[in-house]
Amino acid sequence: MLEIIRIHNELLGTYGDRGNADVLKYRAHLGKVKARITDISYLDPLPDSGDIYLLGGAEDAAQLLSLNALRKGSILSRVAARGAVILAICAGFQIIGTKYVTRDQEIPGLGLLDITTTPGEKRLVGDIAVQSSLFDVPMTGFENHSSITTLGEGVEAFGRVMVGNGNGVAGLDGAMHQQVFGTYLHGPVLARNPEFADLLLERAIGKPLLSVDDELAHKYALWRRSVAKISY
Amino acid sequence: MADIRLKTGIVLAKFVSASSKLFGNKGETLPGRILLKIAPEAISLLAQGKEVILISGTNGKTSTTKAVVAIVSQLGPVATSASGSNLARGAATALMSSAPYAVLEIDELHLPSIIAQTDPTVVLLLNLTRDQLHRMYEVKRVADRWHVECAEAINTVFIADIDDPFINYSIANAVNVLRVSFGGRPHPDGAVCPLCGSYLTWKGGNYSCTCGLTNKICEARFKTGSASYRNAILANLVGEVVGADPIEFTESQLERSVEKEINGKKAYFRLTKNPASWNEALQGDLCDDVILVLNARQVDGIDTSWLWDISFEVLKGHRVLICGERALDMAYRIHVEGIESKVVETFDEAITQVEGTEVSVLSAYTAFFELAM
Repeated sequence: MLEIIRIHNELLGTYGDRGNADVLKYRAHLGKVKARITDISYLDPLPDSGDIYLLGGAEDAAQLLSLNALRKGSILSRVAARGAVILAICAGFQIIGTKYVTRDQEIPGLGLLDITTTPGEKRLVGDIAVQSSLFDVPMTGFENHSSITTLGEGVEAFGRVMVGNGNGVAGLDGAMHQQVFGTYLHGPVLARNPEFADLLLERAIGKPLLSVDDELAHKYALWRRSVAKISY
Repeated sequence: MADIRLKTGIVLAKFVSASSKLFGNKGETLPGRILLKIAPEAISLLAQGKEVILISGTNGKTSTTKAVVAIVSQLGPVATSASGSNLARGAATALMSSAPYAVLEIDELHLPSIIAQTDPTVVLLLNLTRDQLHRMYEVKRVADRWHVECAEAINTVFIADIDDPFINYSIANAVNVLRVSFGGRPHPDGAVCPLCGSYLTWKGGNYSCTCGLTNKICEARFKTGSASYRNAILANLVGEVVGADPIEFTESQLERSVEKEINGKKAYFRLTKNPASWNEALQGDLCDDVILVLNARQVDGIDTSWLWDISFEVLKGHRVLICGERALDMAYRIHVEGIESKVVETFDEAITQVEGTEVSVLSAYTAFFELAM
């Protein structure tokens, strides 16, 4: 049974990212992989048994609460080291980095990705499209944040920004390392981009997924790409 | 000088209002826009000598404002803005009236500035939940602004539904407050204490924080009920402050719902514009045929990610038709929840595909105005 862990949705669920878990479970089911979602609230200990861990976007106070809870036992670092898949969106992406800086403090992150986030000058809000080396097609989403994320030396971005802002610097969005993926794409990103959902599932089960034929998912992703005003 | 500008502005604005009405335009915001251009201080000047009542919150503004207008009208003529024109220009247009009372629905982001300009007699704060995040950004950001401005308005009576922790936080430092509780209700975005940033402890629908923020301490307590029931009580409390007799409202008078006959079918329209209003609507009775209309224009919220925070489970077993500019966002969202639907190009087409004699139409903001009004 593939275990999808949705972390602190009451805190990291401001922009609909809870749907990422729903889409993973749904597509796993279509690909004949048994999967379940485990919701872990702020008050629960984080299990180390998961196959896929999901973190979403949050408001400032919620982001800090979640980060401090996740420090206990360094579970995320440990499961990342054994190859569990981690997808972190927006605030979730920021807290798994080296550190993030707010207007009044500098907060050390969980250190899963070598990235640093600092306050930006304006809010970055709108449709976003990203070309990632992982896919033949662009990934689309919606971004809503006001931070600048800088990648450490040699860190690979999730993709190159074609529409929107992403990390807010160098024309890049997100970061990735081994099985850990971070991005600014809400949407939820796995709903809009089934290819990404399937990639995470394949990474988690360690083999190709049976071909998943979901016409509506495909139609939806195509339509989302067509309205994202992507120019190459 | 200000006086001359104000007079000129009013003359021009009234002229524009009259001529735009001549061309079939309702003319609710254009006059106010012109007035504010010529006399930027018009709102504060026009508010002088009036009893001003402001109503704000994520959900229920328009219907509650109508209820308050009905109540206050017992005392004398009331100036009010038309449905939905709740920005500064809408307020300016309404305030041009010579009526002694003004009852205005105000957009959440505009509320602090309108309070500062009008020195209102009463402000009614309904609720704050996630809505239009592309311009609100975060619920806490809106509440922070209210928190600051409510403390400044020392002449105003605030009537606050503190079952919502963001509302309780907003009025935490206000001088004159009537805190109202309906015995508590869960809040979809209430995991963090807005006052101190701690994880907020909830027991059922009641919250208590170590910093002292709680809905258990209040000046008025009522039994629990639907949003329209609560808003009717809150509207009457406003009336009580200004000396008007209470009025009884039926639930449907305060619902954002409209009944209409279309092509021989009875259509029940309901405004659903964010997770909170969707959840409220999905708890109600639904016909066998349901049409969902989703747009994503500025006032609808251009990001539709929040659809994933709503459970559409109750639609199972209904015949679901979807239309609107963002129909596919909706169709795929409910598909993953195991609900199949039919996406059609237009609302007219959806109506023709309705099998029964009546249909529930759950509709986003812009579509609601186009189709139901």
